Formats: sequence, structure tokens, C-alpha cells
Amino acid sequence: MRPRPPAMRTKKRYILVRIIPSGATVDQKQLYLSVIEAATSLFGDAAVGLAQPAAVYCDAGYAVIRCRRGTERDIAAALATVTAVGDDRVSLRTVATSGTIRALRRRMKPIRPRPEEGEMVVGGTVYAVCRYPGQKVDLIEKGIKHQKRFFFSELDLEER
Amino acid sequence: MKITDARIFPYPAGDSTVARMAIEAGELGFDSLVAIGDVGHQSFQGVEILQGTIITAQSIREVLRDLRDPAVRRADVVYVDAGDLPFNRALASINEVNVISKIHTTRQNAFDHVAARTAAERGVAVEISLAPLINLRGVKRQRALNRYADILALHRRYGFMLTISSAARSILDQRSVREIRGLCELFGMTGAEVNEALSSVGRIIEPFSPVGVVR
Repeated sequence: MRPRPPAMRTKKRYILVRIIPSGATVDQKQLYLSVIEAATSLFGDAAVGLAQPAAVYCDAGYAVIRCRRGTERDIAAALATVTAVGDDRVSLRTVATSGTIRALRRRMKPIRPRPEEGEMVVGGTVYAVCRYPGQKVDLIEKGIKHQKRFFFSELDLEER
Repeated sequence: MKITDARIFPYPAGDSTVARMAIEAGELGFDSLVAIGDVGHQSFQGVEILQGTIITAQSIREVLRDLRDPAVRRADVVYVDAGDLPFNRALASINEVNVISKIHTTRQNAFDHVAARTAAERGVAVEISLAPLINLRGVKRQRALNRYADILALHRRYGFMLTISSAARSILDQRSVREIRGLCELFGMTGAEVNEALSSVGRIIEPFSPVGVVR
């Protein structure tokens, strides 16, 4: 099948989003379903059908959402209403919008926890301490899945 | 002009401490936060923390009694949850009340033109919380959008102050200024109106007053 000439192709926009909390493992298909659910409940089937949102990349704390040109503001608003992916509570923070994935890749700064590790007890439950740049500290409940998280800072740990 | 998230609920009400929420708010484009609870006056990485308190009452007599509470007097911003029409009209006329909150939970006619005019004269603001737009789905969110559109129409006519809050209990509930603009566009708020509403907490704390002569 011959591809369409460039002038006849639909123009796309790509939205780069950061997945909060850092270190959350998100499945691309689950992310797509969450975005579609959020957009459909906000704008309805007709608008979402025209916008054609899709998750084209999801790794290392970032995701790229594709949509039709002209609908990126609506899709960004819908992304702000995503509160969970699968069973995990997450938040999607819009970082940038671009016409190419390559331009967005330049905006992806890897978010790695600092190597210091530790444990902390909050309310009788043991939490693993994950430190991130910017004095951020995540306390993750020790367990296999659906671990509870607390979001602290270095200052809060010093006070305890 | 300080861009302020008008209401957050830090740890222990939520899962994030006030310091962490302030760090995140700074990254999201805010200059200050109003934290509910006894957090004191602090500043983290350039983000100022203001202290807020919420009064939930069934009658105006209860509101007036609670306003005399020392803990309420210490707060920078006093929120009172909205109720029925006579209650809201009375709230709008109390100078000690800074913000009427949870307006989306009230009936369509619970905040009318009389309350709007009184609120404008007394400098009482009405809160637009983003939590129902983010967390609710279906009919409940449609009702919230409808209420906010109605409040916005009254705001444009009578000029009372609006505040915008994330009502976040976690850093996962906090939204950036750009995302807030996108969400407020859903009920017809313009970018300039969003900027004005985000900076109204500063005007509540330090209202405009005539220039005084210092001797």
C-alpha cells in the first residue's frame, strides 16, 4: 500500500508527561486506557474520537502521549484528571508539547534515586527510604504490591 | 503578585508533609501555599506557607462562636463551608470570614446576586476547588462545572474575589499553574481571570486600604 502524500496526512502533536511518583512502574497499555477513560469522561466520545490520543512511549518516569494537532490543550487538560493507572495512584504532569518525539526526548531528564538507603518506622509499619534530588524523600511501605507511600523531605527526616 | 494554591491538607491529614508539598509547589510555579492545620509561618525553598483554618457549621451562631476561637484567630485565612442561601448571604457579610468554600456542594441558587454583591463589598472570596474536577466523574463533575460556571458569571457581574485551590492531600493531587488554566477553561474561565484568582489570597491577607499619613 502506498503511503499518503505528506500534505494529506493528519498532523500530530506529542505531549511529554512526567509520571509522579518517581520510580512508579507503569504499563503502557494501562496508561493508554487511563488516558482514554479520563479524556472520554471529560469531553465525550466524539471529541476523543477526533483527538485520537495514544500512548507512544512509557519508560523511565516519562510518557509521551500522541494526539491530533489542535487538540493538545484538551488532551493536556484531560491528562490533569488522570489519578490512577491500573491499581496504582499516579499523577501525570505535562512537561512539554512538540511536533516530534525527538524534541521531547531532549527534555527528558532521568530521575534516579540517590544511592543512600534506609528504613523508617511510621505508625508501626516499616518503610523503605528513597531519596531523590531536591531534598525529596519517598517512604515506600515494605511489601510486594500496593505499597503505601509517604512523601517527605530531608527536613522532615531530620526533625524525626 | 504571589501565585498561591489556596488550600492544601498536609500530613497527617494527607500523605505528604508540608515541606514536601512546598517543594513540589515551587516546581509547579507557585509562590505560596495555604496549609490547613497548625503549621505555623514557614518558608521552604522560596515557597511561603500560610496558615488556614476551616469552619464547618450549621448556623451563623456557630460560625460566630468558632471565629472567637484562638486557633481560628491565629490563622491567616479563614474558610467557612457554604450552606443554604440564607447561610451564605450571612457568611458574605461577616468581615472575619475570608473565603466561602465547598460552593460546588451547594444547590444552584445557594449563592445568588445578593450574596455576590455583599461578598464584593466585604472582600469575602469564593473558593473554586479543583478536586471535584480532578477526582469526580460523570454527573457529579458536571454539577461542579455548572456551579463554577454560575459563580464565574456572578464574579464577572459583581466583582467579588475568587480563589483557586487544589485541595490536595498528597503531592499527587497538586497541579501546575498551566494545568490549572486548562482545567478552569472547562467552565469558561480565561487565563487572565485564572491569574487574578491565583493571586487573590495576597489581597485577602493585605486588603487595599486608603493611604495613611505616617508621622
